[in-house]
Amino acid sequence: MRSSKIFSVWHGIPLFILLFFLAPILIILSSVFADYSENWSHIYEYVLGDYILNSFILVSGVSLLVMIIGSLTAWLVSNYQFFGKRFFEWGLILPLAIPPYILAYTFTGLFDSYGTMNEIARSLFNLEQNEMLFPNIRNIYGAIIVFSFTLYPYVYLICRTAFLNQSRSMFEVGRTLGLSQASIFLKLALPLVRPALIAGTMIVAMETLSDFGAVDHFAISTFTTGIFRTWYGMYDLTTAMQLASMLLIFITFCLVIERTSRKNANYSTIGSNFKPIQVIRLGSLGSFVCFFVCFIPIFIGFILPILEILNWSLRFNTSFFNEQFFSISLNTVLLSILSAILCTFIAMIINFSIRYKNSSVIKSINPFLNIGYAVPGLILAVGIVQLFVFLDNNILNFFEGYFLTGSLFGLIFAYIIKSYALANSTYEAGYQKISQTIDDSARVLKSTGLNLLFRVHFPILKTSFFTSLLLVTSEVVKELPATLILRPFNFETLAVSTYIYASEERMVEAAAPATAIILIGLIPIFFISQMIRASRLEKS
Amino acid sequence: MKNILEIRNLSHAYDQAGSIIKDFNFSLKKGEIVSILGPSGIGKTTLLRIVAGLEDVMDGEVIISEKVASKKNFLLPPEKRNLGLVVEDRALFPHLNIEKNVMFGISHIQERESLAQEYLSLFKVADLSKKYPHEISAGQQQRVAFARALITNPDILLLDEPFGALDKNLKEELHEETKKIFKNKDLSVLLVTHDEEEAKYFSDRIIEFQEDKIFIR
Repeated sequence: MRSSKIFSVWHGIPLFILLFFLAPILIILSSVFADYSENWSHIYEYVLGDYILNSFILVSGVSLLVMIIGSLTAWLVSNYQFFGKRFFEWGLILPLAIPPYILAYTFTGLFDSYGTMNEIARSLFNLEQNEMLFPNIRNIYGAIIVFSFTLYPYVYLICRTAFLNQSRSMFEVGRTLGLSQASIFLKLALPLVRPALIAGTMIVAMETLSDFGAVDHFAISTFTTGIFRTWYGMYDLTTAMQLASMLLIFITFCLVIERTSRKNANYSTIGSNFKPIQVIRLGSLGSFVCFFVCFIPIFIGFILPILEILNWSLRFNTSFFNEQFFSISLNTVLLSILSAILCTFIAMIINFSIRYKNSSVIKSINPFLNIGYAVPGLILAVGIVQLFVFLDNNILNFFEGYFLTGSLFGLIFAYIIKSYALANSTYEAGYQKISQTIDDSARVLKSTGLNLLFRVHFPILKTSFFTSLLLVTSEVVKELPATLILRPFNFETLAVSTYIYASEERMVEAAAPATAIILIGLIPIFFISQMIRASRLEKS
Repeated sequence: MKNILEIRNLSHAYDQAGSIIKDFNFSLKKGEIVSILGPSGIGKTTLLRIVAGLEDVMDGEVIISEKVASKKNFLLPPEKRNLGLVVEDRALFPHLNIEKNVMFGISHIQERESLAQEYLSLFKVADLSKKYPHEISAGQQQRVAFARALITNPDILLLDEPFGALDKNLKEELHEETKKIFKNKDLSVLLVTHDEEEAKYFSDRIIEFQEDKIFIR
């Protein structure tokens, strides 16, 4: 006996989570009110313009490319039968297993003046030693290519789920109104998956902005490299945090615009009268074109770097696959799965709360929870360390020594905050496809709260659940900067191990953990793409 | 005959701009079928959602079985109103087969399976019990939706354009069958429709919503 507007546990849980998510970020933002040093004046006068311009060019270029690659490949594998389609359905996710920094390392190995590809070209075409067939990759355009071909699967996965959930009848109506196949894609299918497309691209943009490894390797001045240089070069943590705050404010602004632009869009297409799309069988030419379009992203984002890593591995012996290596691999697997499960459940609870309570308060919380994805890992780590030190000293001081600081909690906490946007976007896209009448009917049939969540929403959103697990697991395995700072003493993950070897120019030894990162990234990709397929077959 | 539903001085609007429903009074007797007739966007579905407890009221009262269910700053949640709801898109749960859909609201009852079969038979869809919603026709889905709503033995059955997506022959067939079932079970039914013929055939009374006016026939 209450008003639907009153405060309930479904309001309380998101608020509680928000408090924890925002605490480290607020610690970082508080640096805005600290004194501005001479270093800040120097940065403002000489390099800040470059940081902003380069970050803008990078994000714009990457966003445009991933939208094209992700949506086009998702459309082709969802709607057409062509040679290799069954492979491409899951094969297009393969580049997710390779973090941008590993692709950057392998691309320089491949395309530098004395890289593998130029060496092959010289021997094939009898070129002089100073002649190069392949252009220099260590520039902003190279970085755009690296990010686009490792990150497009985020757009592909979300768009594919959205395309598969579109109703056949809509396209049939489009055909009768005179639309060609291409027009159906551009005028019907693509506008209808706009929320998914924007969600996926936003994730890619945030990932690009928060990356350090690849842009540093290509010597491009962006916000993140600036933050790192200020911290490690000038030893000025406050100025580094002030730069990070600027980036955070910009990202918050982007998120608000994105949310506002699609606030009123309801793209629900699934009802109980849902008719799955009819796959069109293509002729030889069409089949070849589709094969080519889908193969290129996999070749650049997966096959090429794998070949280069294999090249490194084969040139030397494999003694580095030792006991320590397996222990590091186990650490990484356990940590990533645990973080992925926790993060996915949090995203599920938040999105359910939004749906169930239809509360503007909870809705307005969610964009703030997403912001962790764009926070550079090292900066987030500093915020978490400072938060944990405060909690250990003031609240958990009945423990002997530090309880939270230096423990795995910090690492898991950082992974959850950084990966939440991934989990959330898959749930948001999933929820947009459940008609409100499903909830109304369930509530009238006395299904509420957890009962509604686990009897109705959870089974319908199984695909979102597994997609989220895939995205988060793969993300955590690759996460480098936060792991470097927050890992407990003597605790190594594969990413840390790769970084240490690569930074010491021991690329051959880095090949082992890099290969493992890729292989571990492949396991959830394989299983979850099978589950996505199975759930699709169940429907059709 | 006592009123199973009473609406007193109900006012409701989506925003401050204007009322979609203004000072509306209405009562539904036990066993009576009443249609709310009117064009789209006039507030018919909103009224039904208010009765279901899916929307708050801004002013006035909704009384179900002589108990206040909604008034300003008070809402008895839908699950505590003992209502049935059937909507135009059926809203069957896509992950459950037909039998499980029908049993959804009575999962706590031991004889749920036999009861489900009874209601599936009543609506002539017993042979579809193991199929999934997407494997059956729109008309069959609507029969399942009726069975799912009625199996809980609701005090009031709320119907929101339940025949809207069906062709004429199927609609007529279902009209006849469902009306017979409703009358046999002495159900109180509130039907929202924009189809005047349907309203005339189905109802004991018609409430017609028009711009700024409400007619009772």
